[in-house]
Amino acid sequence: MGDDIVILCEGVHVVLGRQEILRGLSLAIPRGGLVPIVGPNGAGKTTLLRAMLGLVPLRRGRIFTPFARRPPGYVPQLKSVDPLYPVPVRRIVEMGLYPRLGWWRRPGREERRMVDEALERLGLLAHQRKVFAELSGGMKQKALLARAFVTAAEVLLLDEPTSELDGEGEREVLRHLRALSVEGGRTIVFVHHGLHQAARLAQSLCWVEHGRARMIAAGAEREPAVQRGGGR
Amino acid sequence: MGMGDFLAQFSGALAAGLLVSTTCAFLGVFVLLKRVVFIGIALTEVAVCGMAAALLLGLPPAAGSIALTLGCVGLLARPFGKERLPRDAVLGFVFVLATSGAVLLVSHSGFGLMDVKALLYGDLILVSARDSLLLWLALPPVLAGGVVFLRPVLNTFLDREAAMVLGIRASRWESLFFLALGLTVAVASWSAGPGLVFCYLVVPPAAGLLLSRRLPIVLLSAAFFAAAATLLGLGISFRFDLPTNQTICVVACAGLVLLSPLRALLRG
Repeated sequence: MGDDIVILCEGVHVVLGRQEILRGLSLAIPRGGLVPIVGPNGAGKTTLLRAMLGLVPLRRGRIFTPFARRPPGYVPQLKSVDPLYPVPVRRIVEMGLYPRLGWWRRPGREERRMVDEALERLGLLAHQRKVFAELSGGMKQKALLARAFVTAAEVLLLDEPTSELDGEGEREVLRHLRALSVEGGRTIVFVHHGLHQAARLAQSLCWVEHGRARMIAAGAEREPAVQRGGGR
Repeated sequence: MGMGDFLAQFSGALAAGLLVSTTCAFLGVFVLLKRVVFIGIALTEVAVCGMAAALLLGLPPAAGSIALTLGCVGLLARPFGKERLPRDAVLGFVFVLATSGAVLLVSHSGFGLMDVKALLYGDLILVSARDSLLLWLALPPVLAGGVVFLRPVLNTFLDREAAMVLGIRASRWESLFFLALGLTVAVASWSAGPGLVFCYLVVPPAAGLLLSRRLPIVLLSAAFFAAAATLLGLGISFRFDLPTNQTICVVACAGLVLLSPLRALLRG
């Protein structure tokens, strides 16, 4: 895998239950920048993201990532966080520091500053003591984004990070993501539902359909949308 | 007989009760939050079945209880997401089999009625020095482990996939938690009785969750509530000559029922 490639998928097959979700998918995610994963509903976007994270077993094929050395930042869909647990927003964000702190060390001054910065970036500093489960969907999503930001990971993988946000909230979060990728040189791969919005943000898109994927240049996004639009 | 005599005579039961109650209450908070309450009752019945089997075979009852309970934990703790039957169905099966099995095992054992009652229902007041030793060997490490490893266990239970991505070995922490739960239930059921152990796993943690929305405070209040119910229950049972375990259970339940209006009153 070359230095300019951060994630490489080769002939990836993923079967969930009796359904083949990814069918020989091959893909190279370039280092740095925003990479939206777009495609019709049920195309396998989330499965592709989860496969990159090692959360679903591969039937065939290989995925090369740098995550064994350095875990990525990850924003799952909201339902993955159990709402019954009485934990404050700050505790959720601190979870992102686990690779740094391990199972015992308490956050020091530097770690507290990192958490403050992530909370402030997403406008959550005033809400840090609120219980996560009692927040609105949009605020929860921002808390999970703050958890991913605080990891200081080279690669962030986000599963529909703006699905619960209103228009202004979505634009704000996408601005933050762009800033992180431009200033911080991070690679941010995220599943997104808006093809044209994604095309405005990024230089290239990952188009997923029928369990296969390909990178397309922004501006050429009308082609797959017109030719292959609609659900599977 | 005054309080001094009571303490002199039942200091072992008191210490055992406080240890069992606080450990079970601590673990019980996660049992409730993880929505596996049925595991608690199934394991307590499995522990009884293990004791009955061990007694029939002439083995130490605690050994039978621990062996069968940990074996059952191994079966129940594995992920059930891909199975055709939900975990609750398997738990129900285990519960019915263990409950009936225990009665069948003791019915032709030649044990006296008191032995059978002590086995099936337990009695904190009858805890022996040997039981206490077993409790002090097993439960403090479980409690200490729960405190020391709180962060990875909480992260795993809160958001399993994110925890795995962050490098936490979720399966290992889940297995360790269920092993600790199984060991606690087995040892505590033998010494204090299965009904009381199940009460400690459910009622004080529920009180803790009603009292606070901060996990450390929930854990502390659950342990404190369990200890207070034990002290008060022991005192009442002694004063009015009532069965100890059932008195503690009723005191704990009454405390939980009173907690809701009390909370409303305090909040104005």
